[in-house]
Amino acid sequence: MGGGKGGIGKSFLVANLATVAARSGRRVILIDADLGGANLHTCLGVRAGERISLSDYFEDRVVDLEKVAIETPIPGLRLILGALGHTGKAETTQEQRASLLKAVRRLPADIVIFDLAAGTDRSTIDFFLEADDGFVVTTPEPTAIENAYAFLRAAFYRRLATALSESNVRELIRVAMDQRNERGIRTPGDLLAAIEQIDHGEAERFRRVLDGFKPHLVVNQVRDTEEVKMGFSITSVCKKYFGIDIDYAGYICFDDNVWRSVKDRRPLVLAYPTSDGALYVRRIVKKMLGS
Amino acid sequence: MRPLAEQSYYELLEAPAEGTPQQIERAYRIARATYAPSSTAVYSVFTADECAAILRRIEEAYAVLSDARLRREYDARLRRIDPARPSVPTTQTPPEERSIRSMGRVPMRPSDGVPMRPSDVPLRASEPDLDGSFAPDNGVFDGDVLRRIRVSLGIELEEIAATTKINELHLRAIEGNHYEQLPPPVYLRGFLKQFAKCLSLDPNHVADSYTGHMRESSARRS
Repeated sequence: MGGGKGGIGKSFLVANLATVAARSGRRVILIDADLGGANLHTCLGVRAGERISLSDYFEDRVVDLEKVAIETPIPGLRLILGALGHTGKAETTQEQRASLLKAVRRLPADIVIFDLAAGTDRSTIDFFLEADDGFVVTTPEPTAIENAYAFLRAAFYRRLATALSESNVRELIRVAMDQRNERGIRTPGDLLAAIEQIDHGEAERFRRVLDGFKPHLVVNQVRDTEEVKMGFSITSVCKKYFGIDIDYAGYICFDDNVWRSVKDRRPLVLAYPTSDGALYVRRIVKKMLGS
Repeated sequence: MRPLAEQSYYELLEAPAEGTPQQIERAYRIARATYAPSSTAVYSVFTADECAAILRRIEEAYAVLSDARLRREYDARLRRIDPARPSVPTTQTPPEERSIRSMGRVPMRPSDGVPMRPSDVPLRASEPDLDGSFAPDNGVFDGDVLRRIRVSLGIELEEIAATTKINELHLRAIEGNHYEQLPPPVYLRGFLKQFAKCLSLDPNHVADSYTGHMRESSARRS
């Protein structure tokens, strides 16, 4: 669950989607991958204190990732804390990320959800791209939408860069990532045309990346029909700009009960189960899990 | 992934090639709003000039696809380029079957003689609300459920009032469960059926459910 901007409700959504999934009988493990500003535990009513965290795994104090997953008040839902380690480092190396992702696949869970940090740094994008289903969260505000596009753009180009191996093509991608580049490559479509001139095989791989890149979109804090439609508009822009099909997974209406639940340090779906916000959370889970 | 200039009119509007006139209309409305100069969805991605160019192409596409004769001619041209292309229906077709029959959201057929309206047919496969999850477990379609479904489809009440010719005040009373402000039962049933059709719901199921719930609530109060 990513989105580029901070304060748009990623942790709130992760905590609540996971709670609904766990209560439907799934074994769920959450990973707070926001190492510099971890607070997913608070949304779940868990005190972090000096408890075991992801830092212990990264710094080799714990070998088995499952041992880092602590229980939460919700049966079936465990949490891997993202608290800063003793070194205070919020950055991870590529080796650490690769090791974590390998271990995540072996966790005894039906669903693992990464709560990603704001921004588009390398580790955030790598975790997003590794997911079977990547969710981008935004609110209807221009700033959040702008950051959501920046996040998608970073993820898209990162995936391209890892999929295409020719050095001159990778150089083109590097150039294209700067929107004001001198080559005049404005959109992924321009980039594809440029790659086509260099290497047909790489252009074909480009198209396969496009076909395989299908993030989901959630619009949070929606207040009216116009803002519901914003989700349709964002999917249209992604189609016309990136050439990618985004799935509009759903939206969460603006609801005062949300901040009340955060203040209570309880998931909305448990604290205010009949609220509008809880209803919309359950709809997204229902759509994603098909139950 | 083709440049704007090379995209078909269907690609430009993001409407299915076999889309009904209603689907074309809804696709156009969303596209026009998305690329309008004031749209917050585009300003950080496309320049004003790029948006204007997209809008010109969208208007061009709509002018052809919204005119039955021009659309037939255009489709014939497309089929000459791609003979495998399916023929576009000349009459209105029902939306595809959905897997939520038990919740009252069944395919609409104009068998009751009421013509389908522009907003009858949900536009896109990616619409987040076609799974019936707003339909409550008890199956009751009260005003609150109808409002949620309408909003989730991005349909304004004004649009429904314009297409059904039902006074907006009546529609608001239906959504608000303000039973004392509703018209006599014989009119109410017709209104509910038209409202339901605009949301791709089963008209008879919604009318039965709403009026049944209304009777029960009124009986409890008295």
